[in-house]
Amino acid sequence: MSWRPVKAVVGREMSKLFRQRARLISSMVRPMIWLLVIGSGVGSMLQGPQQEGYLTFLVPGILAMTLLFAALLSALTLVYDKEFGVMRMMMIAPIAHYWIVLAKLIAATLTAMVQALLLLILLLVMGLISVKIAFALLLPAVLTAICCAAIGGLIAVWSKSIDNFAVIMNFFIFPVFFLSGALYPVNQLPEYLHYIVVINPFSYGVDLLKHAVPNVATDFSIMTDIAVLLGFSIAAIVIACWQFSRESVHAPLFHRMSK
Amino acid sequence: MASDLAIKTEGLTKQFGQTLAVNKLDLEIEAGQFYGLLGPNGAGKSTTIHMLTTMTAATSGEAWIAGQQVSADPVAIRRTVGLVFQDSALDRTMSIDENLQFAAAMYNLAPDVANKRIDELLSVFGLQDKRKRKLVSLSGGQRRAVDIARGVLHKPKVLFLDEPTIGLDLPSRRAIWRFIVQLRREEGMTIFLTTHYLEEATACDHVDFFQQGQLQKGGTPLELTKKLGESILEITTPNPENITAQLAPLFGSPIREDEDLSFKIEADDVDFYQLQQTLGSSVSSMKWRKPNLNDVYLWTFCDPEQGDMK
Repeated sequence: MSWRPVKAVVGREMSKLFRQRARLISSMVRPMIWLLVIGSGVGSMLQGPQQEGYLTFLVPGILAMTLLFAALLSALTLVYDKEFGVMRMMMIAPIAHYWIVLAKLIAATLTAMVQALLLLILLLVMGLISVKIAFALLLPAVLTAICCAAIGGLIAVWSKSIDNFAVIMNFFIFPVFFLSGALYPVNQLPEYLHYIVVINPFSYGVDLLKHAVPNVATDFSIMTDIAVLLGFSIAAIVIACWQFSRESVHAPLFHRMSK
Repeated sequence: MASDLAIKTEGLTKQFGQTLAVNKLDLEIEAGQFYGLLGPNGAGKSTTIHMLTTMTAATSGEAWIAGQQVSADPVAIRRTVGLVFQDSALDRTMSIDENLQFAAAMYNLAPDVANKRIDELLSVFGLQDKRKRKLVSLSGGQRRAVDIARGVLHKPKVLFLDEPTIGLDLPSRRAIWRFIVQLRREEGMTIFLTTHYLEEATACDHVDFFQQGQLQKGGTPLELTKKLGESILEITTPNPENITAQLAPLFGSPIREDEDLSFKIEADDVDFYQLQQTLGSSVSSMKWRKPNLNDVYLWTFCDPEQGDMK
């Protein structure tokens, strides 16, 4: 197995990412709106020093949100490429088909990290974090990005067409985000929500990011976070590769085309 | 397993649910041949190609490409074959160059090797000046040419072309055929082609017909058209029954489509001018010509002597 095909798939995604500069910039708008609108709005209901604290509390959550959206949307290019036929250029290549999934998930992780870096620079400029915190956030961000790409990979290999996009948004992205502790401390949630947060792998990414920011309460230990993130990511990627290599996944692609 | 066979299948079968797309296909195609699998849309031609190129698994039976068992090592098979899909597999948002560089990297070609090869192929297709152009700015024929170039970047031993001229206008179709013939001359690869424009397949060394998943053994296009008859007589008339009654004793039953009759004529001494005078104003048009592969197909599958539309 040579790395050239994998590099080609990753390179294609990267060149698309940097070519669509407007999209890259607009991807910064969402976290900013959350931070400024929700942060200030909800923050204004809090008392005195808690107000300041809520903005800081939101930083890991907003960073995690950026990683989640970027990695998930990038992983969904697996479906997009199928829809537009480009997938067949990769399927006919002399590589095992699971390499296509791996390459796409590497690309999704990198895409998420590019956006995370942009956001960190913005947060630095706004004075919400220090350089030291920015660096401390990097490694947790990488692990979270891999976890989000793995979630995206799982969704992508089971999606038949890109029409499901709204379904994916409503059933995966929003619940995963809201039920993660990104916006509020997990310990204060009602019990039934607490359970959902605990089984959501993304929660552990948010928590690991929280560990990097001083004075932000965390819910799990660093070791738990890392173990769950790595364990989930590896399992999800293996399952995604297995599912993608099954022929029935592509049968509609070729059956439809051969009519 | 004889290694001079480029493609061999034994009882190759594909079933989609209850539909039998390909039924016990037995094929032997020698290396270097230009083979045409002809038949209507939905006959199972594409499914056959997809089974031979590991894009879909056979339900039963087995196939060999250049002596390698297809189901044993799909990656090795994909290295050996090139496949040009029925509709474009290219990324429309990228340029010709980006598309071909990407495809070349997928075949693990080093950039300098890929560059040389892309230059070579684009000049065959007359697209060397358009290398940096976006795909959307090309005509349908040019895009198909880029698709074919993509399929042969890695110099495959066996090239599969699935309906290479479908959806193109006549000049583009002719151009694509010129490219295919030139490619074959220069690279000497085995070509497996499917088309439903049967009359186009005259460049093939051997053609077989495919209908509802069943193979009907053919031969060389020349043999087949010769064997069919000396000429084809086409008559359009408001009274098809009368004309049929008049001419059937001479030429046999025609294939009838509303007011159009098509007779297969085996004798080489028919005086058509005489016939034209005899029929006079009872026909609105009359035309005779050499048979082509379309006629062979029609007479194989819709021969009125053997009942309609098998």
